[in-house]
Amino acid sequence: MNRYLKLVNMEIHRFRYILFSLMGITLLLQCGSLIWTLQRVVSAKEKGLTQAEVGFAIPKFLSFPWAIVNTKEWFILPILLSITVLVLYSIIIWYRDWFGRSTFIYRLLMLPSARWVLYVSKLTAILTFVFSMIAFQLVLLVGENMLFKTIVPAGMRTDSTFVEASTINPVLNTLLPKQFEQFIYSYGLGIIGVIVIFTAVLLERSYRRLGILYAIGYVVVCAAAILLPAILPALESSSSYWYPGEIYRIELAICLIVPVISCCLGFWLLRKKITV
Amino acid sequence: MIEVIDLHKRYRGRKVLNGVSFTAEKGQITCLIGINGAGKSTILKAIMGLTPVKSGLIRIDDAPVGPTMYEKVAFVPDHLTTPTGMKLSEGIQFMKDFYVNWNDARANELLKFFKLDRTERVGNLSKGTAAKYSLLLGLSQNTDYILMDEPFSGIDMFSREVIAEVFSTDLIEDRGVLLTTHEIDDMEHLIDQAVLLQNGSVQLAFDCEEMRTTEGKSVIDVMREVYTG
Repeated sequence: MNRYLKLVNMEIHRFRYILFSLMGITLLLQCGSLIWTLQRVVSAKEKGLTQAEVGFAIPKFLSFPWAIVNTKEWFILPILLSITVLVLYSIIIWYRDWFGRSTFIYRLLMLPSARWVLYVSKLTAILTFVFSMIAFQLVLLVGENMLFKTIVPAGMRTDSTFVEASTINPVLNTLLPKQFEQFIYSYGLGIIGVIVIFTAVLLERSYRRLGILYAIGYVVVCAAAILLPAILPALESSSSYWYPGEIYRIELAICLIVPVISCCLGFWLLRKKITV
Repeated sequence: MIEVIDLHKRYRGRKVLNGVSFTAEKGQITCLIGINGAGKSTILKAIMGLTPVKSGLIRIDDAPVGPTMYEKVAFVPDHLTTPTGMKLSEGIQFMKDFYVNWNDARANELLKFFKLDRTERVGNLSKGTAAKYSLLLGLSQNTDYILMDEPFSGIDMFSREVIAEVFSTDLIEDRGVLLTTHEIDDMEHLIDQAVLLQNGSVQLAFDCEEMRTTEGKSVIDVMREVYTG
């Protein structure tokens, strides 16, 4: 347990600058675009300009959800950038230990603890980065709401709830689902994805050239297994063989089996097949 | 004792190890000698569980290879194994955090002996200094055995002298040392046992002192016979 936490701490420490940079970019782009949009509209309203004169919509009352909708691209861009970086890092987190002047994987594989701890610590680190970014976005939304209230005079704005603001942007709505069930589905699928990527990387690292084929095959099989129940009704004729409840249970079973098999395979590869 | 019994390994269709068997005793320096591609580094990696083998057996003091072995056997590869962004002190702290057998006092002694700056980044080390640092990390573990892969490869004359000096101290004496080299000149007077490898198999294994006294041959003489004769 102690070594696991130390490994997690080390992985977080190694990624800290990139994580802070992503947070910085998100803060700058979202707050910058919010300030720019609001100042433009407030100024136009103060001057009594019409929509035709300024070339953009001027609502009677401004609300925080409206502000988010009108800075849409700048809200989505840093989020998409963060998602891309984190997905890529799910692969790089392994490869960075193999390549470069120092091959840290030698040291990691020679630690006097079970090698699955290495796998789990890297997975924990990735999840920590994801939830750190989500937590940061939540705090940022609160800050942006305060910023909105500071810039827009009370007479020009209408109150709105925090949920309305996070619901109006499709990306925010996906990242911050209102129902706990939806949260479990979204992030559960994300975690399965990371586990499958990890195992695919280990397949490649264990079998090298042939491993590339194994890895691609493995990802395709896992993706097909997870997607199949969801597209099954569409594939069948009008008289569907499965009830929706049954399809749900099949999907649930597959979503449990895929990560369990992936983890077991990953642990076995680390123990028996990995090569440096 | 490290026992390697009938080790076989293939890589890209080639037999890298073809029935390798030998032993390395505690308190002795055993040297795996062979030209490039003879399988020396692969054997060390196989002992440390860093590469799988097709068949064969490796035992350390009659126990199979496993995670606890890493407190008993240290490995010094021929390149850095600490992230380049870390300072030397951070690399040492990492070892201290993960190894129960870590000897911090010895690490400090070796830092002074090798004249290493603990605030220096690992990525900024020259090849010779990197070799010294790797040796420090290996020797500062209280292990029974230490494996070294080409400890003198590509290192300047003065660094070689400093590293060779370590071999005649008590840092090495009580342990079992298994090292590889294809440049025997620096090591000949230090080694007790020699294992000559060719094409992935052991051509000859002998006691160096016995060879000198009974047949009057140096390791280089024997190598000449095996590899060119």
